[in-house]
Amino acid sequence: MHLELRGVTKRFGSLVANRNINLNVEPGTIHCLLGENGAGKSTLMNVLFGLLHPDEGEILIDGKPVVINNSGEAVRMGIGMVHQHFMLVPVFTVAENVVLGFEPTRAGFLNHAEADASIRKASEQYGLAVDPHAVVEELSVGLQQRVEILKALNHNAELLILDEPTAVLTPQEIEGLFEIMRNLKAAGKSILFITHKLKEVKAVADMITVIRLGEVVGEATPDMTEQELASMMVGRDVNLTVTKAPKVPGEPMLSVRDLVVLDDRGLPVVNGVSLDVHAGEIVALAGVQGNGQTEFVEALTGLRPALRGTVTLNGHDITNHSPRQILNAGLGHVPEDRQADGLVLSMSVQDNLVLNTPRVAPFARRGTRNLKSVRANAEERVRDFDIRTTSVDAPTSSLSGGNQQKVIVARELSRPLSLLIAAQPTRGLDVGSIEYVHKRIVQERDENRAVLIVSSELDEVLALGDRVAVMFHGQITGIVDPSVGREIIGLLMTGSQISDDSTVTVPANATTTTSSENPSEDPS
Amino acid sequence: MELVSIITPAASDVTDVPSGNLTQAVPDTRTRVIGIIEIVLGLFIALVFGLGCGSAPKSTLSFDPVNLTGTIPWHLSPVTVPTALTNIILGAVVALVGVFILVKSPKRGVMVFFGFGAVLFFFAVLLWAARTPGPSYIGFLNLTAVLVGGASIAMVLIFGSLSGILCERSGVVNIAIEGQFIGGALLGAVIASVTGNFFYAAIGGIVLGGLLGLLLAFLALRYQSDQIIVGVVIVTMMSGLSSYLNLQVLSPYPQYNVGNQAPLVAIPGLAKIPILGPVFFNENAFFYVMILLVITVSVGLFRTRWGLRVRAVGEHPKAAEAVGISVVRTRYRNVVMGGAVAGLGGVAFISLHGQFQPGITSGYGYIALAAMIFGRWRPSGAVAASIIFGLSVYLANNLQTWNIPIGTEILQMFPYIITIAVVSGLIGRVRAPAADGIPYKRD
Repeated sequence: MHLELRGVTKRFGSLVANRNINLNVEPGTIHCLLGENGAGKSTLMNVLFGLLHPDEGEILIDGKPVVINNSGEAVRMGIGMVHQHFMLVPVFTVAENVVLGFEPTRAGFLNHAEADASIRKASEQYGLAVDPHAVVEELSVGLQQRVEILKALNHNAELLILDEPTAVLTPQEIEGLFEIMRNLKAAGKSILFITHKLKEVKAVADMITVIRLGEVVGEATPDMTEQELASMMVGRDVNLTVTKAPKVPGEPMLSVRDLVVLDDRGLPVVNGVSLDVHAGEIVALAGVQGNGQTEFVEALTGLRPALRGTVTLNGHDITNHSPRQILNAGLGHVPEDRQADGLVLSMSVQDNLVLNTPRVAPFARRGTRNLKSVRANAEERVRDFDIRTTSVDAPTSSLSGGNQQKVIVARELSRPLSLLIAAQPTRGLDVGSIEYVHKRIVQERDENRAVLIVSSELDEVLALGDRVAVMFHGQITGIVDPSVGREIIGLLMTGSQISDDSTVTVPANATTTTSSENPSEDPS
Repeated sequence: MELVSIITPAASDVTDVPSGNLTQAVPDTRTRVIGIIEIVLGLFIALVFGLGCGSAPKSTLSFDPVNLTGTIPWHLSPVTVPTALTNIILGAVVALVGVFILVKSPKRGVMVFFGFGAVLFFFAVLLWAARTPGPSYIGFLNLTAVLVGGASIAMVLIFGSLSGILCERSGVVNIAIEGQFIGGALLGAVIASVTGNFFYAAIGGIVLGGLLGLLLAFLALRYQSDQIIVGVVIVTMMSGLSSYLNLQVLSPYPQYNVGNQAPLVAIPGLAKIPILGPVFFNENAFFYVMILLVITVSVGLFRTRWGLRVRAVGEHPKAAEAVGISVVRTRYRNVVMGGAVAGLGGVAFISLHGQFQPGITSGYGYIALAAMIFGRWRPSGAVAASIIFGLSVYLANNLQTWNIPIGTEILQMFPYIITIAVVSGLIGRVRAPAADGIPYKRD
């Protein structure tokens, strides 16, 4: 299918999310839409998929202008979308999900045989092996994504839109996805691949369109360097590397032993984790999302009970203590979901800045808040951390994602800490904010604090970590030096357990005192 | 570059705790709890209803037909058993089922075992209540009558739980079933009194129930109000309205509330089967409609395109919308259908009771919701749960009139206790449709 956008503009009130977008996706190609978070990629996709209607401009399919009123129409026109958050019904089988909306029937009843047959055919044709009778919630994320692709193909999609498809995959699964994408391309399908990851763009794209702040800033080809692509995407020269001086770690600050944590369904999602984080060291906890990292952090911060095991912070047992006790013991926490757990969005910047110390002098005295000192504190933090806000009274919901994160970082780093836990610290942030947050995290480490980073971005893990612990199915599959490279870490992320002759095996204790004396090389 | 050290993680942890075992840990606990409950229940039956009544009393069970006109088509001799011994045996059976569950921890059918225990429990209560010499004036127990009585209550509950299933499978909580019952019962009584024909009453109930469903759907879907609150408001409104109309219309004009009951329709031949005949094949027309509805909803939900789409909307509305299924339209349709079914249930209720009085439905709508949950949002499960709950309601209603010294309030609480146990995950594991009760917003 040949898809063309001409001068598409989409406004939300006074905000222009897409301005005069021109895009030309040739048949049988993989076309990359590269842009930062918040650049307007999602808006554009929703316009294409009929979920939003453009204010100006037109969409042409095979040269004919079309109007797409809803997603059902988009699907009928041959546009298939693989959403970042899968649109699959977890309790349905693969077959039920694939045929939903386009069910084959016989005498009014669902025709399962026909559904299975068409899935098997597509599976074979494009190398998308998956059992039609498996229940989707029991499949791995990678397989679920295949189901999403199968679903689009079953609806006779000629153009597939993949929205940040690699965010939830292991490096090996990403390779598998690229293979599938190449198969699809060979079969004449067009693919619009939306991402902000430069390596992936270079790996699969035939053509690249870069958008920034809602506008197309240019076309690029995959033979350009990552540095060039990054500069186009961000609009200035960016430093892709994290500068980090070597540092010898000190005493263990956080010691976790044999921790078992249950998830909401009562299943052990953290299953016997032991880990040490030393003062002056960044331990990066890597792993594909949903392997227990979230619950692990919740258990450390007192937000979720630990079933078994101990957590020791700076020599004090904090296992199953309340969040307040743990914060007072010297823990700073940058939570994974900043809008849900990090901020009270409707409250002002100044109140959010004292959210963890509301009862402490000078912010309160004898149960009464001292608003003057709250404001003074806020003004200082806004200055120090370069938080862009109209005023300290503005609700945090009015801030951009990057500035919201700065509010949290400013709050957490304004107290004497023994340990900083930052979960997905740069998720959804623009490059400028990412640089800033990374700089602050390294600075904490240099000031001899223990830092635990949880990230599903391998680049971030490799750039920040002095040691990398990899989590899979609730267990640590390995703790390695980041210089082992992404292949080995990728293997650990899929549950492989590696040992070789150079291994120092420490029994009953998953930690090692390996300290990297060499500055971590940037993986790129 | 420094030598890289890769270490194997806490090897002992990995081997000590195979994840396969641990993942089973929690369902096992639930199963175990059910096993323990069954054992306690069995011991309770054996001790209180068995040993508790001494060795002298005997219980007599009779099986004579009820509700059949003309000559009695069968006569099975009454059976007289020693109360204590029988109940001890019943208790032992229940306890053994509990032990079986504890030892084998079966993966499936735990709820069925639990229901089996509950039914035996009711049976033991009946034997105990009917013992002679004993406190009750009843000298024997007519099993056919108990089953017929339980079935008629179960019928109403099944209408209600089907209504709940229709709504909640599409993602809208219909807690207004009680209100739709009241509306259907009131209007049904009036129409049946005026026309003398329950067919017209049924039409009226369907229309009124559907309109109340439409009101719920409108507020829940158009304004995204909290569905629970809207539901409670509808119940309260209907309850108040029915009292008012009763006072202002039905009392001064008794010709609008004469209290006809719907005639029984005997299925030729089948109605004469001993015991089962009167229970299943000599009921009024609403009973047969109910059976057809159960089959229709069951097949419709799980075998047709419509059902797949409804369930998709109730589980993951965005996914449904993404393939062109209109979430709002699906929900409107289902909530209106659900309301109509509940309205029909109200008429079915009044077709048994005749005269309408305020408060006559006495919470059946909520028990029906409980049956829907206990039945895991499936028509078949809801039927099984409705039968158990119907029996418990029947017993609660009748033990009092039999002059039995037992707190009938306890039996009236039974459906709710079960529901709390089920919802809290104490017994079995139920999972509501994932989007149940969550207002849908297109973004």
